[in-house]
Amino acid sequence: MVTTAPILMDTRPVAPASTFRPTTTTPAAAGPGAQAAPAETLIDIDHVDFFYGATQALHDVSLRIENRKVTAFIGPSGCGKSTLLRCLNRMNDLIDGTRIAKGSIRIRGVDIHQHDVDVIELRKQVGMVFQKSNPFPKSIYENITYGLRLQGVNNKARLDEVVEKSLRGAALWDEVKDRLDASGLGLSGGQQQRLCIARAIAVEPEVILMDEPCSALDPVATAKVEELIQELRTRFTIVIVTHNMQQAARCSDKTAFFYMGKLIEYADTRDIFTKPANAQTEAYVSGRFG
Amino acid sequence: MEATRANPHFLVNRSRVRLFGLSFDDCIRVFFGGNAVVSIIVLGLITFFLFREGSGFFGQNRQNLIVYRQAGLEYVDFIRAQQDDHTALTRYLSDLRLRQFTYATEHAPMSVAAANASLARFDDFAGQFGDTVEPLRTLVSDLTEQASAIKTKFTVMEDKKEERRQLLDEGRAGDAAKVVITPVDFAAELKPILGTLPAYRAASAEFAQGLERVLATAPTLPTPELQARMDRFKLHTRDYLAGFPAVTTQLEAWDYTKPVPASQAFTSFIFGREWLTASFWQDWYGVIPLVVGSLMVSLVALLLAVPLGVGAAVYVNQIATPAEQKFIKPCIEFISAIPSVVLGFFGIAILGQALRALSQVSWLSWVPGFPYSERLNILTAGCLLALIAVPTIFTLAEDALNNVPRAFKEASFALGATRLQTVIKIIVPASLSGIISAVLLGLGRVIGETMVVLLCAGNRIAIPDFTAGLAVITQPVHTMTGIIAQEMGEVVQGSIHYRALFVVGMLLFFLSLGINYVAQRIVRRYRISIG
Repeated sequence: MVTTAPILMDTRPVAPASTFRPTTTTPAAAGPGAQAAPAETLIDIDHVDFFYGATQALHDVSLRIENRKVTAFIGPSGCGKSTLLRCLNRMNDLIDGTRIAKGSIRIRGVDIHQHDVDVIELRKQVGMVFQKSNPFPKSIYENITYGLRLQGVNNKARLDEVVEKSLRGAALWDEVKDRLDASGLGLSGGQQQRLCIARAIAVEPEVILMDEPCSALDPVATAKVEELIQELRTRFTIVIVTHNMQQAARCSDKTAFFYMGKLIEYADTRDIFTKPANAQTEAYVSGRFG
Repeated sequence: MEATRANPHFLVNRSRVRLFGLSFDDCIRVFFGGNAVVSIIVLGLITFFLFREGSGFFGQNRQNLIVYRQAGLEYVDFIRAQQDDHTALTRYLSDLRLRQFTYATEHAPMSVAAANASLARFDDFAGQFGDTVEPLRTLVSDLTEQASAIKTKFTVMEDKKEERRQLLDEGRAGDAAKVVITPVDFAAELKPILGTLPAYRAASAEFAQGLERVLATAPTLPTPELQARMDRFKLHTRDYLAGFPAVTTQLEAWDYTKPVPASQAFTSFIFGREWLTASFWQDWYGVIPLVVGSLMVSLVALLLAVPLGVGAAVYVNQIATPAEQKFIKPCIEFISAIPSVVLGFFGIAILGQALRALSQVSWLSWVPGFPYSERLNILTAGCLLALIAVPTIFTLAEDALNNVPRAFKEASFALGATRLQTVIKIIVPASLSGIISAVLLGLGRVIGETMVVLLCAGNRIAIPDFTAGLAVITQPVHTMTGIIAQEMGEVVQGSIHYRALFVVGMLLFFLSLGINYVAQRIVRRYRISIG
């Protein structure tokens, strides 16, 4: 029943805040709906230092993200959780002056920041859903098929099939099936976000990164997206950044707590919220700061 | 708080500076509001002035057309048209001679003298063909003189009337009474002209016979291609001959008292194919050659400026490094700082020459219209106007691209799109209406541009010959803006010509207004769709 390898942590003394000890998951403490199958490591983040120009945003971060699990990144604003998320599909490449100074991120053993890695291929494998829903100013149908068309799929029957499957997968089919040709911008906020999720899963990625997907949604829409995450976790590896600790507690299997660009604690969600090993984590999850 | 209560005078407006009973704040408001009002008033005045000066045109134009009919000019023009058609046929023959000459000197090598000698029979034929019109020519020149005389009498009468009116206005009734006005009796004056109808019938018959006779002697030409042209010429001539009875019918049916409908004053302007002023015969104010000229030049300019402007905008906005951006943007925007007269000067001195030299390069002869000899033409003016439109299109298109939310770009990249795919499939479509309105505003800029077209478009007032296909862009044209700039300084204030120019100005005004309105509408819709 041991589910994870021990988490690699830097053992050198670093900043004063790093008084915590490396944490390992306890076998019984799996997240909600934990599977019995042994988890394999999909993404291996290994001692990563990340810089925006001269500003260091991540300090020696190491963690392993497991296949077909929901991993939540929590922490106060500016702690580096979104930065780390955007490293996973190299979206930070779009920002000038960003670099990984040390360490590596490997997906299935491949260092994704090597020069010979096809970043286009990487992003097909690692999809992303953004904080603010951003459907293209096109029809719902075209929004879903955009990724496939980029890959050269133009078979109408195949596209139709994928549209239905993706929209069903994103629990949006029944709401929009009669207006697939309407603009994606005409949907409500929650629907737009689910459309973005449908768009991401249409290209069948292995990983879906979600950058605070519910921060702009009302509670009802949030509940729907969370429900959806529960359904998707059987098919995809999901990494979600959230400010909402209840959300992390509700829908993730594992949780990583970041503070000031450092990974403070990474463990099964239940452990993080019930018996955090680190005093700062406890302070944060119990709402005493952050 | 306590202090306020203790001092009831706190709320009283104490001695403030007052100007005409207005407080300082009011003065500032009046100042800024006043500026806005002034600009609106000026716009109103311009519009009013334009309309006031222009509106008199249609009445005058109708008068112009009435005189044209009553003085018999219209009648004479029927016969003149017949004569002009003959001239066109003679030109066809000259062209045919040139082709034969080229054939003789190039394909069947002959000396120039020998070639000319071999064409003696053809020249004889062409000469005879040209002479057949003689009976008609004499008649036309007589009639032209008579009709002109009637028109002059009418003009004199109008001048006298005007003189008397002015004298009366000045209160000199005595002098006014002395001005002799000889009324023109059109019926009596036209009698001699109408009396020439039998003479015309005779001349026309003689002319027709002459043509038939000459046509029978048409020589056969050496090659099938040339012979085909000769056959076509014969066909044209037969068609021409077949049209003779129609001319006679027109002349017989013509009635000088037939009223000129008021709408014709308008339609002859809007659909008129001739802009002819200060002519000894009859002035025409048809705006079509100018409109076509303006549109052709603008079209060429846009065809060049849209790819340049939009392409540069896409590059600067999406692809360029910050350093490149810092360099390219000011450079393109600087183009708009070049005075258009300098551009026009550059066009005459350098671009026109260079383009003509380029057109005469032998391996470029496949390009339609190349080689050409008119240095100043649609192409030259269009190239320079493109330069004027590029900064407008670039700046506005770049704004439109900039307004595309970054989120669209990120979403596209996150789905595995390349930069090029993102630009083509997401960024440009999302900003398309902004780009379209940028292009429309560029068009507005180009249509209103004056100096460059005045200097570089060639200023030939004629509808370009569209049968030339794409080569049409190497022909000179005149434009609406150019004609106003060129002729406004020379016209008599209040004359029909003066007013015609104002109406052209009104037309330009409405065109620009329409273009701007459409552009604004598109931008507004675009703002809504982007959210």
